[in-house]
Amino acid sequence: MTISLVTGGNGYFGSLLVDRLLNEGHHVRVLDISLSTDRRADIEYIQGDIRNQSVVQQVVQKADFVFNNVAQVPLAKDRTLLRTVNIDGTKILLDSCLSAGVQKVVHTSSSAIFGVPTSNPVFPDTPAHPLEAYGQAKWEAEILCTQAIANGLDVSIIRPRTILGHGRLGIFGILFDWIADGADPFVLGNGNNRYQFIHAEDLADICWRASQSLGPNIFNAGTDRFGTMREALEELCLHAGTGSRVRSLPARPTSLAMQVAAKLHIAPFAPYHWIMYSKSMWFDVSHAHDILDWSPRWSNSDMFKQSYDWFLQNRAESNNADASHHRRTARQGALGLVKRATKLLPR
Amino acid sequence: MSKTLHLSDSPAPLVVTGAGGWLGRALSSHIVANAQSLGISRYVALVRTNEEKKLLEAELVGISTVKSDIRLCDVTSTDAINSVLVDLNPDNESSFDLIHTAGIIHPKKIQDLYQVNEVGTRNIMKFALDHHARKVVHVSSNSPFGNNPHSKDLFRSIEPFNPYMAYGESKMRGEIAVQEAVSQGLHAVIVRPPWFYGPFQPPRQTTFFSMVKAGRFPVFGDGSQHRSMVFIDNLVDGVFRARQWTGEPGKGWWIADQTPYRVSEIVSLVGQALRDEGHDVKTNRLRIPNIVGSFAETADALIQKTGRYVQQVHVLGEMNKTIACDISASTSELGYIPQTSLYEGMRQSIRWCAEQGNEL
Repeated sequence: MTISLVTGGNGYFGSLLVDRLLNEGHHVRVLDISLSTDRRADIEYIQGDIRNQSVVQQVVQKADFVFNNVAQVPLAKDRTLLRTVNIDGTKILLDSCLSAGVQKVVHTSSSAIFGVPTSNPVFPDTPAHPLEAYGQAKWEAEILCTQAIANGLDVSIIRPRTILGHGRLGIFGILFDWIADGADPFVLGNGNNRYQFIHAEDLADICWRASQSLGPNIFNAGTDRFGTMREALEELCLHAGTGSRVRSLPARPTSLAMQVAAKLHIAPFAPYHWIMYSKSMWFDVSHAHDILDWSPRWSNSDMFKQSYDWFLQNRAESNNADASHHRRTARQGALGLVKRATKLLPR
Repeated sequence: MSKTLHLSDSPAPLVVTGAGGWLGRALSSHIVANAQSLGISRYVALVRTNEEKKLLEAELVGISTVKSDIRLCDVTSTDAINSVLVDLNPDNESSFDLIHTAGIIHPKKIQDLYQVNEVGTRNIMKFALDHHARKVVHVSSNSPFGNNPHSKDLFRSIEPFNPYMAYGESKMRGEIAVQEAVSQGLHAVIVRPPWFYGPFQPPRQTTFFSMVKAGRFPVFGDGSQHRSMVFIDNLVDGVFRARQWTGEPGKGWWIADQTPYRVSEIVSLVGQALRDEGHDVKTNRLRIPNIVGSFAETADALIQKTGRYVQQVHVLGEMNKTIACDISASTSELGYIPQTSLYEGMRQSIRWCAEQGNEL
């Protein structure tokens, strides 16, 4: 039986990828720093840190495919963790895979390596230009993947745009919470920046297809049906039907306020949020389509609606403190006050 | 028309810089074993570290036919060069020849490339000029000329500079330093080897064999990129032929095999050589799309901009390029004809690895 290791397999996207691999008939092994209590009998769980070489060397043994989804995301706000998990952990994993003769590694990177692109669309060989610590760490992890390729390991890199889908919370949990309660969400400036998301199922699909493709490659992944940030939120407000409407805030002062709030630890913002929220970024995905015959099923609009509906159905459990950053709603902090204030705005 | 001098008629001391390096060790073995026929009255080998000195001493013991001494010298320091070579030509009346191989290709930091390949070359050329060297051969590279725009294109002996990354830039500056010394009266010439291989190879070349053996050598696209290659003994021959050149100084020659090879052909031929040396070789399966090469190249450039250097990324970024040269000028002017074929050279290299106890 084909053995697939999913690192970070208990995280938001990792757990969806695990489902996909089980459906494909793989024996799935999960390595995660934290494991949920409701474990499935058909999955082999190993609790461990990606930075622990002996653990990693052990879990890659006899694995045919390795899907690297461990990531310390920007919400964690711990620079040491950001570097050691994303960079050192990736190196330990790749070295172990090379020694163990793993057939294929699929490494989940991030569109954050591009910072704010000077032009769109962004292609797989567009030069990286990370602007904050998370993007820098993910880019350095890609360099390690390139080194591993040069050393003979078959590694494909997948760079997803911002991930949505049922169960996705994190900063989106706050957005959904506001809209569900009729508070007004904001865009920076006029919100006419074109912004592309990807549904977790589409991401799992491209990861699966990449694993079946012989030879290293680099794929940028995002939906092929998307519009502006304002359009995405307006459609969501319409779908919710709670009376929320999209408001514009001046981009620069608001970005500054987000930075100050993050510095004071009174709002769950990370640099990627204030850098990218008002900027355009989209991938050309024809490379993935041509090589992997991959086509995204979900549009921006549909994935927002589905994620929101899931939130409504599971709102009571959305603050589970034991879940990973993207599987629980980020703490609102001062945003709770802003939320109440928006209700005072003239309709 | 060949313009060569039979230097055996007028023996002189010979200095080799970088004698502890890959090419330097091969040259040293050849020199001490054939000093008389090469017209060498005394051999002075300059090495960088004590480890290199000990290694070279061990390699030359028992085969030396000429007075040889191995000296530590940092070519980036003019004071060090002057002090280490103080006895070479003290009265500036006799003369000596010099082969400058000292160079660095995979540095810890980018600055080292310029320090060794540019400053080091300028220092050595100045010493040679100041002390009336008879002949100087400078070993350069394909990198000052970048890569060929088409897989069928060949670099001729005269090409415009188009350096590839910082290494190419540093080797270009080295060549410019040589040309400046030539304009001031130094009889210096340049040899440019592309990808060379053979005994004395560093660990990265052993890795090359290991990857081919495991079927994991990264071949881009259909492997149709062309690469010129040269066996180290052929290169040593080319260097000594260049030393005998009595025509116009400042000339440069490619020292390589007669024709370039497709990368897929190289991998297949090395696989065959490994099999014939008794190794179990897997079919090469690591085909890489050009987009990965393109990514590696831009990543390499970005990394180098920060002053850092990551060897594998640099190598991968260059792997999908054609780097091929035309040796017709070397043949017509120096009489250079490669004697060892790629297959035979690879077999010798594999045997050398085995003799050193290097596991493939």
